[in-house]
Amino acid sequence: MRERIEKALRKSDAEYTEIRIESLASSWAEFRGEELDSIGSSKALGGIVRALVKGGWGYATFNDLSSLEDRVKEACESARLVGREESKFAEVEPVVDETTATLEKDFRKISLSEKKSVIEEYNRVILGYHDKIETSNVGYSDSFRKVWYGNSEGTYIEDERPDAGVRLSATAREGDNVQRGFESVAGTAGFQVIEGLQEKAEAAARRSVDLLSAPPVTGGRYTVIINPRLAGVFAHEAFGHLSESDFVYENERLKELMVLGKRFGSDILNIIDDGAIPGLRGTHTYDDEGVKTRKNYLIKDGILVGRLHSRETAAKMGEEPTGNARAIGYQHQPIVRMTNTYIDKGHATFEDMIRDVNLGLYAIDMVGGQTSMEMFTFSAAYGYMVRNGKIGELVRDIVLTGNVFETLMNIDMIGDAVELPPVGGGCGKGAQAPLPVALGGPYIRIHEVVVGGRQQ
Amino acid sequence: MIVNRLIEKAMEKAHGAQASLGQSESTSVSFENDKLKSVRSSQGTGMSIRIIVDGKIGSSHTTDIDDVDGVVARALEAAEFGSPAHFEFPGPQQGPDVKVYDHAVVPVTKEEMVRIGEEMMTLMKEYSPHILVNARASRGVSSIEFANSAGMAYSTETTNFGVGVDGQWIRGTDILMAGHGFGWKKREIDHVEVAKKAIKLFKMAENIAPIKSGDMPVVFTPEGVRVLLLALILGFDGKNVFLGSSPLAGKLGEKIADEAFALTDNPLLDYAGGSSTYDGEGVPHQVTPLIEDGVVKNFLYDLDTAGRAGTETTGNGIGCSPTNLVIKEGDTPFEEMVKNTREGLLVHNVLGLGQGNPISGEFSVNVQLGYRIEKGDIVGRVKDVMLAGNTYDALKNIAAIGDKAEWAGGSLLTPPIQIARLSVVAK
Repeated sequence: MRERIEKALRKSDAEYTEIRIESLASSWAEFRGEELDSIGSSKALGGIVRALVKGGWGYATFNDLSSLEDRVKEACESARLVGREESKFAEVEPVVDETTATLEKDFRKISLSEKKSVIEEYNRVILGYHDKIETSNVGYSDSFRKVWYGNSEGTYIEDERPDAGVRLSATAREGDNVQRGFESVAGTAGFQVIEGLQEKAEAAARRSVDLLSAPPVTGGRYTVIINPRLAGVFAHEAFGHLSESDFVYENERLKELMVLGKRFGSDILNIIDDGAIPGLRGTHTYDDEGVKTRKNYLIKDGILVGRLHSRETAAKMGEEPTGNARAIGYQHQPIVRMTNTYIDKGHATFEDMIRDVNLGLYAIDMVGGQTSMEMFTFSAAYGYMVRNGKIGELVRDIVLTGNVFETLMNIDMIGDAVELPPVGGGCGKGAQAPLPVALGGPYIRIHEVVVGGRQQ
Repeated sequence: MIVNRLIEKAMEKAHGAQASLGQSESTSVSFENDKLKSVRSSQGTGMSIRIIVDGKIGSSHTTDIDDVDGVVARALEAAEFGSPAHFEFPGPQQGPDVKVYDHAVVPVTKEEMVRIGEEMMTLMKEYSPHILVNARASRGVSSIEFANSAGMAYSTETTNFGVGVDGQWIRGTDILMAGHGFGWKKREIDHVEVAKKAIKLFKMAENIAPIKSGDMPVVFTPEGVRVLLLALILGFDGKNVFLGSSPLAGKLGEKIADEAFALTDNPLLDYAGGSSTYDGEGVPHQVTPLIEDGVVKNFLYDLDTAGRAGTETTGNGIGCSPTNLVIKEGDTPFEEMVKNTREGLLVHNVLGLGQGNPISGEFSVNVQLGYRIEKGDIVGRVKDVMLAGNTYDALKNIAAIGDKAEWAGGSLLTPPIQIARLSVVAK
């Protein structure tokens, strides 16, 4: 493949050209209710050429590899149509490297029938948990991606990116009241990651039944304590996206708002994105521009100290590339993305956090989150009211919202241990979703969080 | 034809099979931060096979159209312990006429799309030079060949064209993001009109209008109607109904909404995003009323789910999802809804939709782009506001339905809808 890529790269007359080819083998199985709903496998091979001329980009994506050289010419032609200024692209040392994935239990060697039987067991656990369980949705999926990357500067990288996960969803029903309990586990280490999850399946089932008798949270402003899994979503939505430099690099007003050295939180707040932590879903040795990943502080001691870059945004902002140019697959160009994002540990304990709360909310686990840069939401799977320093009743339908310029400042306590739970799902940006990322943090406490819901 | 070879190969061992081959090419241009950023061209191929062996289904997909033997072998492996089939592949049937191909899309050049983007961007800049603008245009042509072992076969060519523009306006620490876009299967899109709609959203947002927490009437623009629709899309999914996870299970014939409310799945609207003659299982498409006069009329089914539920497919395969959703027009002009509101909210776009328990009907969302209505006027944009309610309660509580339906994206045609009371929590 190397020879083929390098030969095609020589056909380019652009200032910079890269070719990324990927093969993807995936399989899935899904139960809905008592029956298997779908099972199968898929194979894909495709690539993208990216060419840079006078600051303009041309992209050509394809499944047909036989016309690779024509696709290079096409990308160059497109780039020429776009380019009208001087190209800026951060220098990096060319690298030749090959990385292979180590899978403890290689899911490619496990039969579809075994994959099916593992989730069949989880499905049985959910359906058998309680007579109020109406139905279930239990899915397994895996993918093994091989990436061949070469660019016109001499970089050539082969990389392997495995991912396997299970979704466990239980639906409980009582009349018109339909509640869901959800758990997911995913990881890059192999099939063993998704084995032995009976307890998780039971937890999803138990939650769906428990939520039947939980009232929706009453809307209002609360002091909120969030658990590590939700803290990760918070870090990702509240601040992570705003630190992606493609939002900032050509935006003079946002540059002023996001100037390095500006205070965003109190001294106890540290937010980090690190694409080099072994074993996490957002981890790679190199990003999709061939730049080595690394640990990047975004907020240190409450102060904005860094941001995430591609080679283009780094050059245009006069900063260093950070290894955060990522693409979800061969149909897409790399854009600035997070990898593994977390809030670093502080000194507080959970008991410290609830002790002096008269009326608050303890929000647990994530459903998701979304941001429009300034305002953001993050949703908890479930939670409890906190009354007079004690955990109170279970509540449901918890969606929290915040404003990046206020909410981070309102964090007043940070727990003393970081967790980065191996959950499934991923991040969406533009047309690219879901991208595997990891999220985490310690328990954190935030004041004055607006929580949606009906009022009393 | 490749699909016939797939079927032949599969039928050496299978009892039934369907195969499809898809090919596509597309080009698009993208403007970012006030300037042309990139031009993309894409070429794609893929083929899928779904087979039944001894009453069990297996499926497989590949991008390698030479790998007929491999893709069939993998589907056979899956079918060995596959999901039970509750249907047989349908025989030849003639589908209805619906336009999905426009010759005018094919020759659209990159240069023409660049000009479209530039014109939209210029209009936005003329309104306000402070808005940082992104714009895009795209065209595409795709083809599908389909065949099954019962003799059904068709091939079809589809075109796609779309444009969009959005912008970001920062004042102090206030970041306002708004935009508009439209895409369908026809070249004919007035991009000037698209830009004007985006500009109108900015104009209404020039002032920030704080709002107090409380219950109040809420008007949803056609785009905003998605907030109410998500629960219905999940609720009318025949599989969710069969499995009992839909709150609508068992409610066929029951009144669940105001009698002015009607919702239809319509795949036969010429050039609409979700339109085509056949569904993904070779079943002719049909118009399916879901709610009429507030009463549940039908759910959406594919072949297998219909078999499980003991009913007929509605041509929504594979997956029981809607094609194009159409909400019936009412009799209240949008201006009148606003004029009749003393204190309320106009909702256009939200954050966090679906990130709760959407099938229950509950929603709790941040109003990303919404406006305060005060004494019959839209007075400005709201911020840091959560809107919460339940779709099924809201549908019984409709105050007015607009007299003019508009496309929100390429596959939802709806008038604005006013709900009498929803809960608003402000900072």
